Amino acid sequence: MGADLTTALAPDDDVAIAVLAAPTPFAAFWAAFRENRGAVFGLSILALVVAMALLANLIAPHSPIEQFRDAVKTPPVWEAGGSWKFILGTDGAGRDMLSRLIFGARVSLFIGVSVMSVSFVIGVLLGLVSAMSGSIADVVITRVMDLIMAVPSLVLAILVVAILGPSLTNTIVAVTIVYLPRYVRLMRASALGELNKDYVTAARVAGVNLLRLMFVTILPNCLAPLIVQAALGVSDAILEAAALGFLGLGAQPPTPEWGSMLADSREFIRSNPWIVTFPGLAILVTVVAINLTGDGLRDALDPKMRRS
Amino acid sequence: MLAYFLRRILLTIPTFVALMFATFVAIRLVPGDPVEVRVGEHGISPERLAEFRHELGLDLPVWKQFLAYVWQLLHGDFGTSVATQQKVLSEFLTLFPATLELSFFAMMLALLIGVPAGAVAAVKRGSYFDQALMSVATIGYSMPIFWWGLLLIMFVAVNLGLTPVSGRIDLIRFYFEPVTGFMTVDALLSGQDGAFLDALHHLVLPAIVLGTVPLAVVARMTRSSMLEVLSEDYVRTARAKGLSPTRVFGLHALRNALLPVVTVIGLSISGLLAGAVLTETIFSWPGVGKWLIDSISRRDYPALQGGVMLVSMVVITVNVIVDLLYGVINPRIRHGR
Repeated sequence: MGADLTTALAPDDDVAIAVLAAPTPFAAFWAAFRENRGAVFGLSILALVVAMALLANLIAPHSPIEQFRDAVKTPPVWEAGGSWKFILGTDGAGRDMLSRLIFGARVSLFIGVSVMSVSFVIGVLLGLVSAMSGSIADVVITRVMDLIMAVPSLVLAILVVAILGPSLTNTIVAVTIVYLPRYVRLMRASALGELNKDYVTAARVAGVNLLRLMFVTILPNCLAPLIVQAALGVSDAILEAAALGFLGLGAQPPTPEWGSMLADSREFIRSNPWIVTFPGLAILVTVVAINLTGDGLRDALDPKMRRS
Repeated sequence: MLAYFLRRILLTIPTFVALMFATFVAIRLVPGDPVEVRVGEHGISPERLAEFRHELGLDLPVWKQFLAYVWQLLHGDFGTSVATQQKVLSEFLTLFPATLELSFFAMMLALLIGVPAGAVAAVKRGSYFDQALMSVATIGYSMPIFWWGLLLIMFVAVNLGLTPVSGRIDLIRFYFEPVTGFMTVDALLSGQDGAFLDALHHLVLPAIVLGTVPLAVVARMTRSSMLEVLSEDYVRTARAKGLSPTRVFGLHALRNALLPVVTVIGLSISGLLAGAVLTETIFSWPGVGKWLIDSISRRDYPALQGGVMLVSMVVITVNVIVDLLYGVINPRIRHGR
């Protein structure tokens, strides 16, 4: 009881946090989110994909990299010559498609989430510094972001991979660099919008130090558009990484990455279409699910950006 | 107005300088010695190696190399391709029309379908057409276009045999010297029977693939911007005056709704060029995108460096032009600042 009382009486930020964490805003958000049928549908599919990724070890029938040399290019079960052993068939090296797709969910979601979190954190930091300093740091950060935006995303990612060498980690680095400006610019713009408001002036007058002003006073009020951007950023990152994989510049075989599964699939267009079809379908379904969820988040969190 | 133009143009200079610096640093970080690539696997005497290094300016201090690089760029020298011994700029200029032609048709597709579809969806908000269009747009927006290209090749080109699988024109049936570099225009100029149609025929699938994402973006953008405009007073007034729906929606509403769409078109140039890398690779389309990818696999770093530089310069320039155009169309922008 005594502890509760002190929390309740503590000034400013603690109260702000307590209010943020209270169940009411989430309930309000969920009510708004639930109204959007597409978003709920997207979220359900996304939940399935996430479950698939987490439980890959348990549900995949085979190892994603084991090569069944006597079953190369087996068609899916519903086609002549298919077998229940390989439900979606096998690829050119005799690896089970279904298992590779299931484990691929792990790789793609890992890429998407890592890119999003790293660029979110760095983007928020740079954006806040840029907005608050308003000096040389601001000019430098803004110029560098303009520069990154001037190079077409995939071309920049290719350049980064050419420098670092193709691998899963370097894919993440490359795509993070490509998507950093979005967060920086969004953060900078929203922070600049907040800076002139009375509550910030009040906090300043009250002698709040700079770090506290940045992260406790201003940041929470800029979060809504950033969260929406982050959600949509995951799907963009997955697409970008898959494109790099397709060009042979992303995750290297035998990593079961959806994009790189398509890298040398052109030769199978005529003879073994399932090798071409399934990995792309997996990418499409996942990206659509994330985008629908992201649209729902936007409508629920950020009424100003609502697409009506 | 003039001040706004000048400021906007001056603002690009630091970006260009930073771009030069970035490409300069980037290429020096690339693993693998350019000289060794040029020498190949046969080996070379140390004297000859030193000679090569001197020829390429690699024996100078780094800051001198950078100044030399800037000096070259300012004289329009974007380096020489290691693989073909051609000037990077002239290679780029030969290939760029192919990319431009592909992008142009992709963008036309996006605009000619996206704008009317988005406008109709907004007018008939909530209808089945609206819902269907928005679902399709979400799918189009989420499409991994390299896979989409493979699927279309598989079904349309291979299974149905409706279109060619790759290339810009049937080289066995038609041959003519490039005049403009745009295959459709050159085909018309050559006067050869059926050449123009064949060039268009080769363009269909790549243009669809490259146009899919812009189409989805344009349709969504037109719809939401049209919805905003439809709730404005002047549209209500126009309706109340008894003007025909075509006039109200087409003339009063759509014209104003297209303002943000113009910005979107400008912003999609960068996306188009990124998409062109994938589309050109899939369809063996001899443009800048495929050239960049080939440069990587050939470890042709001067070509990669010059290519990235030139592509970025195109994007920066287009963005400035779009900004200026936007200032012309929308007076609030140029007077606001």
